[in-house]
Amino acid sequence: MKMFRKHVGSISRISTQLQRGPPTVGSIAGLSTEAEAAPKQERVDEKITEFRTAITNPGGHSPLQIAKFYTIPAEEKKRIFGGGGLPKQYELQIKTFTEACLMVRSPALELLQYIKQADLSKPVVRYVLYGENGVGKSLTMAHVLHYGALHDFLLVHVPWAPNWMKRPKETANATGQEGFIDLPFDAAAWLVHFKTQNAQLLQKLQLKTSKDYVWSKRESTPTGSLLTELVEHGIARIKYASETIAAVISELKQLSTAGQCKVMVAIDGFNAFFHPETRIFSDNKQRVTPDRITLTQPFLNITNYDWTNGVCILSVDKIAMTEGYMESYMPRYLLGKDGFEHLDPFVPVHVDNYTDKEFTNYISYYVDRFWITKTAPDLEDQLKFMSNKNPYTLMQLVRGL
Amino acid sequence: MSANLTRWLERSLHNCHATQSRTALRLFSGQQQQQQQQQQEVEEDEEFRVLNLRAVKKQVAARREIKRDPVPPPRSNRMAVDQDWTAAWPGPRSFHPASVPLPLRQGYTERGAAAPSKFANAELMKIPNFLHLTPPAIRQQCEAIKQFCTPWPKGLETEEKCKHHFPVEVVTTDFCHSLPTIRNPEARRVTVSLKLSELKFDAHAKDKFLRLVGERYNQETDVLTIVADRCPMRKQNYDYALYLLTACYHESFITEPWEETKSEADMEVYHFERNKAKLSAEAILNWNEAAGETKVAPSQGYAKSVEQLINEGENEYNIAKYKKEVLKMLNIPVAN
Amino acid sequence: MLKRALIYGKFRTNGIYGSFENGTRWSRLMSMYPPHYAEPIFKKDSQNMEKYELAKLSHVPIKAALNSSSDTIFNAELKQKMLAYIVKCGNSRLARELLTKTFEQIKRAQIERKHLVKQDNGHAICIDAEKLLIQAIENSRPLLQLSSIKRGGVKYQVPVPLTSKKSYFYAMKWILDAAKEKDRKISLSSKLAWEILDAAHGQGRVIKKKNDLHRLCENNRAYAHYRWS
Repeated sequence: MKMFRKHVGSISRISTQLQRGPPTVGSIAGLSTEAEAAPKQERVDEKITEFRTAITNPGGHSPLQIAKFYTIPAEEKKRIFGGGGLPKQYELQIKTFTEACLMVRSPALELLQYIKQADLSKPVVRYVLYGENGVGKSLTMAHVLHYGALHDFLLVHVPWAPNWMKRPKETANATGQEGFIDLPFDAAAWLVHFKTQNAQLLQKLQLKTSKDYVWSKRESTPTGSLLTELVEHGIARIKYASETIAAVISELKQLSTAGQCKVMVAIDGFNAFFHPETRIFSDNKQRVTPDRITLTQPFLNITNYDWTNGVCILSVDKIAMTEGYMESYMPRYLLGKDGFEHLDPFVPVHVDNYTDKEFTNYISYYVDRFWITKTAPDLEDQLKFMSNKNPYTLMQLVRGL
Repeated sequence: MSANLTRWLERSLHNCHATQSRTALRLFSGQQQQQQQQQQEVEEDEEFRVLNLRAVKKQVAARREIKRDPVPPPRSNRMAVDQDWTAAWPGPRSFHPASVPLPLRQGYTERGAAAPSKFANAELMKIPNFLHLTPPAIRQQCEAIKQFCTPWPKGLETEEKCKHHFPVEVVTTDFCHSLPTIRNPEARRVTVSLKLSELKFDAHAKDKFLRLVGERYNQETDVLTIVADRCPMRKQNYDYALYLLTACYHESFITEPWEETKSEADMEVYHFERNKAKLSAEAILNWNEAAGETKVAPSQGYAKSVEQLINEGENEYNIAKYKKEVLKMLNIPVAN
Repeated sequence: MLKRALIYGKFRTNGIYGSFENGTRWSRLMSMYPPHYAEPIFKKDSQNMEKYELAKLSHVPIKAALNSSSDTIFNAELKQKMLAYIVKCGNSRLARELLTKTFEQIKRAQIERKHLVKQDNGHAICIDAEKLLIQAIENSRPLLQLSSIKRGGVKYQVPVPLTSKKSYFYAMKWILDAAKEKDRKISLSSKLAWEILDAAHGQGRVIKKKNDLHRLCENNRAYAHYRWS
């Protein structure tokens, strides 16, 4: 990929020179776009009002803005989604379109409404996003996450939980618990992600730890030290990163129950925690179950109902499972018996394919961003038919157009 | 060799006769006659016998004229209109055109042409006929066997009533068997079937009974089928099947001490009351309540929706209902 | 013969892959259809355009449309041809994926450029990958070819005009060969995108190859008469 970027860079350099130099034979300079350039620009400007909304704060979104795009400011995007959270393809799209736009869709609005009207003194409500492959569960979550980041929620965000079960960077035997597997690098990466997402808020709130944490003979975190110090320690001492996560999360639970902060938990691919097995092998060459991974416990702990002043947004996904466990996208099937019992009672939120209006707006957005340059009278109908209005399929179809 | 011998013997015999006759003739004829005789004899002796390869055509005897009686007109012509048909056609028999006074036609012809008539019609002969089973014939036979019958029991007029009074159905099969022994081994098999709704159970007994009978019970049709074939005689098998049914039924009402240890994994259906769902729902509803206060129980609708979701399997309808109940229980205002 | 070459030259501007309906397509020798069968018109807009000709066709038997001929926005004749050349071992699914990725990368590169030069004239940059592909192929089509002919015991490299069909073949083959000449770690799609962009702008190895061939033909034009004498 890096190679390619280099290539592309060189191409663009060559061609910019070309543009400045005398027009060569067979140059594509005058390929039809020139003639209709001026009227097209006007038309694009008109359309902006149709499918875009100027409200960049998700808190201000209402059903009026449904099927419209709002832009996430670059620095906010970098802060919230710097460590993941947006699908890879979407990141690429953002890079190409030079703006991070999200469509306001009804599942996200529904969630936002629940969160706004929630009684935070009650135990946390778990919201479970479910839906077919590629309908926009992760992006719905991203929308809500953006809301949380802007409204003083401490974000406990796992961009894609199955990564820990499927392709961990490094595994080690846990020191504290016998028979458990530690993922020190992934744990540290998550701590970094947590820190970047919540740096400002942690600075403001000055949260303190409630008990002593003794890591080894020489290292310990005393009572009353800042939560950031705890996190910093975990990042610096990768060996204790997993334990630090457990500590941070239990602290967060206590602090939020005490009313010192609000916490928003967002875990994408939550059902990976209840998958029958992982791809990690233990010392005796046997596959480890997810509950034997030290990272699982804190996140199961924080999705429990025994704390207040927070919300849990979880998504269950077919892709989080492996072959043989992907028959249905329904939450009970994906979570399994244990997962269901763990979450019950939860609020299932169904994410569906585009509606007609959303589809039309998305096509106009693509046209606006020059991603679709073809003009056929029945282009939209054809795409609608081919993609079944599924967002991901549409993306795949349109890329080669 | 033998052929030559016989020939020689024949000839010598012939000569012997000739000498005899010669002696007799010598009295009347002279020398000349004798010579002539001798010459003739030589000629006779020298005759060349023709080998007849082809059979010589004999006089062909004139073939005897077979005398046939003229074909009488079909019998059906003479039948009276009000004849007793059961007498004319008493038993099963292949079709005979002259005996059936019906203008039958059968068979394929070209378009427009009439179908072949009943005479010399193989089509009609091939197919089975039921001319001996006309309603009067049946009526007649029924009348004849009526004296051996008892009246149909009262109260069993319809199929449902029969099923109600005799819920157990026993099926056995008799076989025609062409062996020195007439007993077919398959004839011993006895199949007893019964609708399970006919038996009276309580919840525990039903569960236990189903576990006891295992795959003999068909859940879709609610029919229990017991097949017995382990004993050599039908009677024994029948007794065994009924014994099995009775034993299982009574056994299912006995609660053994170890049955109390039945865990959640052994449950056949999901019960809200027994599961963690109830505990967590109660814990959420009674959050921050003092210990002494009365506990709020989760609503019946929620319990039902959870049970439905798990017992019936997931679908959009069930999960939407579950969502509605959860929102109601957690007191979250519904969107729109 | 010169005339023929000229005619070919004329033909080239139309392009043999132009359309099914104007009948310029080569007919196969072993066709399952008798020659009087008409070609199917599967494109909807051309059906509308030729209403008066449709009346003529009403009593003419028409060939069945090919499986690949469908009137969608994803279907273009030159693109299909290119796809057929990319296919290896019948794995056309992979080929389609590769070409799709190629188009995606072309589009990404062009859009990036468009944003770079937005101030002065961003509209001049074409983003349509399909148009760029066609442009690249048209740019890299050779006019002449060298063919070795033996005269008086000596082999001469004689410049020979190419048929339109063959020139298209060479153009696509060269582009693809240039794309295949790459490091193992680079995917074909990215290299192909690069080559297509280069050729569409009249640069790159393919164009150079074409020019080299033309120059050789020019040098050997003294032997041109050996073609027919």
